[in-house]
Amino acid sequence: MSMKQVDENKQNDKKKKSFLSLLFANLFGSKKELSIFEEEQVQSPWRTVINTFKSNKVAMTGFIVFLLIFSIVMIAPLVHPIDLSFSETSQKDIAPGFDMMALPDAILGKVQDIGVGPTFSIGASTDGKVYIWGKTRISSTIDVKNYPIDPATKRPVDMGNVVKVAAGFDHALALNDEGEVFAWGNNRQKQASIPTELKFTKDIKDIYGGYQSSIVLTGDGRSIYFGNTMNNDYDEFHPYQGQLDKIAVASDGLIGLTRDGEVVYLGSQINAYSRIPENMGKVVDISASAVTMAAVNEDGKVFVWGNVTKSKGEGNVPETDSKIIKIIGGRYHYNAITENGDIYSWGSNNYKQSTIPQKVKEADIVKVYSGYYQNYGIASDGKVYTWGLKGYLFGTDDLGRDIFTRLLNGGRMSMTIGAVAVVISTTIGIIVGAVSGYFGGKIDNVLQRISEVISSLPFLPFAMILSSLIGNSMTSTQRIVLIMVILGLLSWTGLQRLVRAQVLSVREQEYVIAAKSLGIKEKNIVFRHILPNVISVILVSATLSFATSMLTEASLSFLGFGVQAPHPTWGNMLYGANNSIVIQNYWWRWVYASIVLGISVICINLVGDGLRDAVDPRSQER
Amino acid sequence: MIKYTFKRILYMLFVFSIMTVILFTLYGMIPGDPARAEVEGLRQTLKPDEYEHAYQLARQRMGLDLPKHIRYINYVKGLVKGELGQSIVYKMPVSKVIITPLKTTIFINIFAVVIGLALTIPLGIRTAVRKNSNFDKAVQVLTIIGHSIPVFIFSLLFIYAFSVKLGWFPVSGMKTANFKGTDWEAFLDKVWHLALPLMVMTIGSLAGLTRYIRAAMADALSMDYIKTARAKGLKEKVVIYSHAWRNALLPIVTLLIGWLMSIFYGSLIIERMFNLNGLGKLLIESLYNQDYDVVMAIQLLYIVIALLGNLLSDLSYGIVDPRVRVNK
Repeated sequence: MSMKQVDENKQNDKKKKSFLSLLFANLFGSKKELSIFEEEQVQSPWRTVINTFKSNKVAMTGFIVFLLIFSIVMIAPLVHPIDLSFSETSQKDIAPGFDMMALPDAILGKVQDIGVGPTFSIGASTDGKVYIWGKTRISSTIDVKNYPIDPATKRPVDMGNVVKVAAGFDHALALNDEGEVFAWGNNRQKQASIPTELKFTKDIKDIYGGYQSSIVLTGDGRSIYFGNTMNNDYDEFHPYQGQLDKIAVASDGLIGLTRDGEVVYLGSQINAYSRIPENMGKVVDISASAVTMAAVNEDGKVFVWGNVTKSKGEGNVPETDSKIIKIIGGRYHYNAITENGDIYSWGSNNYKQSTIPQKVKEADIVKVYSGYYQNYGIASDGKVYTWGLKGYLFGTDDLGRDIFTRLLNGGRMSMTIGAVAVVISTTIGIIVGAVSGYFGGKIDNVLQRISEVISSLPFLPFAMILSSLIGNSMTSTQRIVLIMVILGLLSWTGLQRLVRAQVLSVREQEYVIAAKSLGIKEKNIVFRHILPNVISVILVSATLSFATSMLTEASLSFLGFGVQAPHPTWGNMLYGANNSIVIQNYWWRWVYASIVLGISVICINLVGDGLRDAVDPRSQER
Repeated sequence: MIKYTFKRILYMLFVFSIMTVILFTLYGMIPGDPARAEVEGLRQTLKPDEYEHAYQLARQRMGLDLPKHIRYINYVKGLVKGELGQSIVYKMPVSKVIITPLKTTIFINIFAVVIGLALTIPLGIRTAVRKNSNFDKAVQVLTIIGHSIPVFIFSLLFIYAFSVKLGWFPVSGMKTANFKGTDWEAFLDKVWHLALPLMVMTIGSLAGLTRYIRAAMADALSMDYIKTARAKGLKEKVVIYSHAWRNALLPIVTLLIGWLMSIFYGSLIIERMFNLNGLGKLLIESLYNQDYDVVMAIQLLYIVIALLGNLLSDLSYGIVDPRVRVNK
C-alpha cells in the first residue's frame, strides 16, 4: 500500500462531512458503496435514468445553471417589466458601470458648483479646480474629460480659478473668476466655440449648457447664445436684452426671468413654451425640464407649462408644507426646495430620479443640482448626497435602452419561442413517426418522402424566406407566433425518424400483439401502448431540439428575419452589432447577449447529452 | 441499379414540379403589382390616359391578366428555357444576377468543406478509438461549446480579436479596393480577405460533424466483429480503418452528403457578417428589397440541390452498404 492510498483511506474513515460536501452529494448524487452481502434495490427504469443522470456531474451542472437562467428570465420580467416604446437619445451607447454620480474624492466637502449632463457631471471646487466624472465619452473621438487644448502650446488650457460650471448635452462649460468662459466637448454645432464678443465682456453672471447650445448671461442682463440655431428657438435680438436676471434652458427653447420678476420667452416662434401662464405675479425662480418650463412666484406657487405630458407628470406639483422658493429641473422631473429646507420632487420616475431617499430628507440640504436623471444635494456640512440614475449594469444600446432589462425580457422571449417551437415539432414528429412506423406501407412511404424533402431543404434560408414572405404584413406580435410555427414546421423530421424506428422495433413485440388480439383500437395501441415505450427517445430529442430552436431563432433574429424590434430576444439584440464600430467601441452591446445565449444553449445541450447517456441502456452496463 | 436511379430521378422531377406549384402560389399571394412598379417612373412624364395605356401594355407583356394556371405553364416554359425572371433591383435577368454570387459562395464553401473534412474525420475517429480518455473528454467539451455557440457570435469574437485588436485580417470584404497586381497577388489578397470567414466557418462546422462521426465510430467499435478482428490478430490500424470505419460510414453518409451540398448555402451568415458577395448575401438583400424573382430562383436552386443530395445519399448507401445494393 503506497502512502497515497493510506492517505485516501484515512480520508474515507472520516465520517464527519462538511455541509458543502453533503449539499454536493445530495445535488449531484453519490454512489453508495454496497457490501457483497447486500443486494441492490430493484429500481424502476425511470429511477435508474434519473439516478444515472444525477450522477453525471457535467450534465447536472448544466441542468442547474440552465434552471437558474430559466427561472431568472421567467420571473424577473414580472418584477422588471419592459417598456417597448422606450427610447432615450441622451442615454445611448453608455458603457456598463454605476459611476455616473461618483464624485471624485478631491471635490467632496468643497463643492462650489455642479453642472449635470446626460451621463457625466462637471464640478468646481471651492478652490477653483474643475472635476469631471461619470460616463464622459461622447463618441470614439470626443471625451468631455479632455480639457480644452490651447492651440499655441498644445497643452490643456489653464482655466484659472473656476467659479461656475455647466454641462450641455455633449459639451461642458466653465467660468473663472476673471470672467473668462471655457467650453469643450462636442463642437459640431459650434456649441463649444466661444464667440469673440465674449472676449470683451468680463462681467459674466452665469453660464448655461443646453442641447447643442451654450448660453452666457452677462452681468448687465444680456444673453449671448452660441451653438445649434436650427433646433433651438432663440432670437438674438429679443426685446429683453439688458433686463435678464436668470435663464432656463429646455432641449429646444429658452425662457428668461427679468429683474422685475417677469417670465419672458427668448425665441421668435409661437409655441408651447411661449404660451407663458398669465397672472403669475412676481416670479422668483424659473427652471426647465427637457420639454417643459416651470416658474415659482412669491407665494410659492409653481406653474408648469410647455409640452407637459401626463405619463411623465411634470405638471403634478405636490402639496408642500411651506412655501417653495426654488425649483430645479431635470430631464423630465423637477425638484423644489421650500423655505424650511425640505425637498420635494415630482415628474417622471423611471430611474428613481424623483424619489428622494430618506437620508436626503433627514439631512439639511442647502443646495440641489439636478439635470437629466441625476440629482446632487449639498448638505450644510458640505456632504454630497446623490440620487437618481447611477448607471447601467450592462450598459445601454443605440436607443438608450437598458441592456440588462432587455436581456431579461429577451431571454423570456427566446426561451418561449424555443419551447413552443419544440412543442410543435415534437407533436408533429411523434404523430408522423408513430403513424408511419405502425401502419407502414403506402402511408409510410408518402410520409417518409415528405419528411425527406423537408429535411434536405436548407433550414436557415427557408425559414428566412418563409418568415419574410408570410410575415411581410404582420404585426410584430403575429410575427413572433409565425417564427415559432416556422421553426416547428421545419424541424420535426429528425424526431419523426427516431420515433418511427423505435415504433418499428417494438411493433412486433408480444405486448402489442396482445393488445391487438384484445381488440384495442389501433389509435390507442399506437399512442397508449407503444409511445410510452419510446418516450425516453422523445425526451432526449426534444431537449436537444430546444437548443437548436433557440439557436435558429437567434440566427434568424440576428439577420433581421425573426423577432423584430422593439421586442427583444437574445438574437435580435445583436442585430446592430455586425459592424466594426460597434464591435470595437460598444462591446457591451454584443458581449452580454452572446454570453447568456451561449451559456444557455451549452447548458441545454449538456442536459440533452446527459439524458441521452442516461437513457441509453448500454451506458448502464457494468 | 440503373432502373432504380431512373426511378429516383422521375420521383425527383415529380417532387420538383409540386414544389414549383407551391412556390408559384405562395409568391402569387404576395401583394404587389410588378407592372405598376415598372411603369411607376413614367407617371410624371405621361398624361393619365397614356400612362394607363402603358400600364395595360406592361400587364399584357407580363401576362398578368391571364388565368393562374396558364401563367404557371408559361412560367414553367420559361424555367425550361432557363428564364428565371427579371430582377427589379439589378434590372437584368435573374440568371445573370445569380451567377457571380453563386461562384463566390462555392469558392468559399469548397475551402471550408475540405478543411472541415480533413479535420473532423481524423478527430472523430481518434476520439472514438480513445473513448473516455482525457483527449476525448476535452474534445467533447469543446465540441459541445462549438455546437452551442452560433456562428455569428464566433464571427463577432474573431473580428474583435483578429481584425480590431490585432489587425491581422481585414474586417470585411472580398478584396482590397482598387487592387493592382499579378493574378497570383490577387489570389493571395483574396485568401487574406477570406482567412477570417473561413476560420469561423470551419470552427462552426467542426463540432457537429466531429460528434456525429465519434458516435458512429464508437458504435461500430463496440460490435462483436471488431472483437473478432482483434482476436484474429489484425493490426489495430486495419481494425480501425478497414473494419470499423467502413461500418461507421453508413450512418455518416447522409450527413456527409448534406454537408457537401451545403457548399451552395452554408455560408449565409458568414457572408452577411463579413460582407462577402455571395448567394446568401444576395438572398438576404433580395428579401430586404422584395426582389422576389431573385428569391424564388435561389429557392428553386436550393430545392434542386436538396433533391440531388437525396438522390446522391440514396445511391451512396448502395455503394457503402452491400446489403442495400438495390436492384428494385
